[in-house]
Amino acid sequence: MKTSELQGFLGAVCVQDSFANKEIAGAYTSDLLSDAMANAVDGGVLITIQAHKNTVAVGTLKDLAAIVVCNNRPIPDDMIEAARAEGIAIFVTKENQFTVSGKLWQRLGS
Amino acid sequence: MIVRADLHLHSCLSPCGDLSMSPREIAYRCAERGVRLAALTDHNSALNCPAFDAAAREAGITALFGIEAQPREECHILCLFARPETALMLGSELYDLMPPVMNVPEKMGDQVYVDENEDIAGEVDKYLITSAELGLEELSARVIALGGIVIPAHVDRPSFSLSSQLGFIPDGPWAALEVVRMPDGDSPRSVDTRGYPLITSSDAHFPEHVARRAFDLDIADDRLITDSGRVDLEVIKAALLRRPR
Repeated sequence: MKTSELQGFLGAVCVQDSFANKEIAGAYTSDLLSDAMANAVDGGVLITIQAHKNTVAVGTLKDLAAIVVCNNRPIPDDMIEAARAEGIAIFVTKENQFTVSGKLWQRLGS
Repeated sequence: MIVRADLHLHSCLSPCGDLSMSPREIAYRCAERGVRLAALTDHNSALNCPAFDAAAREAGITALFGIEAQPREECHILCLFARPETALMLGSELYDLMPPVMNVPEKMGDQVYVDENEDIAGEVDKYLITSAELGLEELSARVIALGGIVIPAHVDRPSFSLSSQLGFIPDGPWAALEVVRMPDGDSPRSVDTRGYPLITSSDAHFPEHVARRAFDLDIADDRLITDSGRVDLEVIKAALLRRPR
């Protein structure tokens, strides 16, 4: 699955669309950034409600393809700017972490 | 007596801190902007505190030695001490409790500490903005046992704060709470600060931000410095109790 497919597959809104359209290596769900830093999948997707630029720092460290922000949390401009600088896609969805994880698990496996 | 204070400052040791933020740069910026009492509080490490001690003397300001610690709950907690050695002791304990997530300087920023001459003395290998494997209560109890004071950082901020991580301000041995903005009388507060004294500080990562939210500490007729040449933390605690709530 490619990063660009996330939008349609999840019914999410892409708020940062300047990214390399790479193959998604996996996914991890966490709202604790230190946990995401330790356990997120390199080159994968992070599913979270942490909508601020520190999440992008985790994305940088783990070479994330995308961050999926759940529950329609508002995305601050500095988060979008940071993600654009790093080429990490950001998607926002009204769905919660459980639902997004379930959908992606079916496509990407555990 | 009123002492202008900035108790939240990052040096070049913090990965997000600018390399130009040497301890001496910070001390002189504080002095030129009227800050008389300054605490160095890098993320999970105190390795620049000895250099800050020397720099503060040189710049003619009074230093506190601290760490902005990140316990398991992922909230940032200012832990302040009168002596650099005590801050270093806590830092070494936190280092052992941090996960083996290594810093990648080219991606996350440098984590360098310097000696008194501002020559680079070393670099921390573990990434410093991670959570140490201890709880908020354990951390606070440890700081108190070491004779320090505990001030939860930027409690009104939507990340790395008590309010973002726990949703409320729990009871604790907080000498004060740091807020980004002092509440104004009329508008509703974004977070219930539960009667704890409030302070603001710069959380500076760049020289231009040093002292930007410095606050006034009223130490009354007390002596800030003990005979040993260190800050009397009892005086600080008493002064913090006079702060707005």
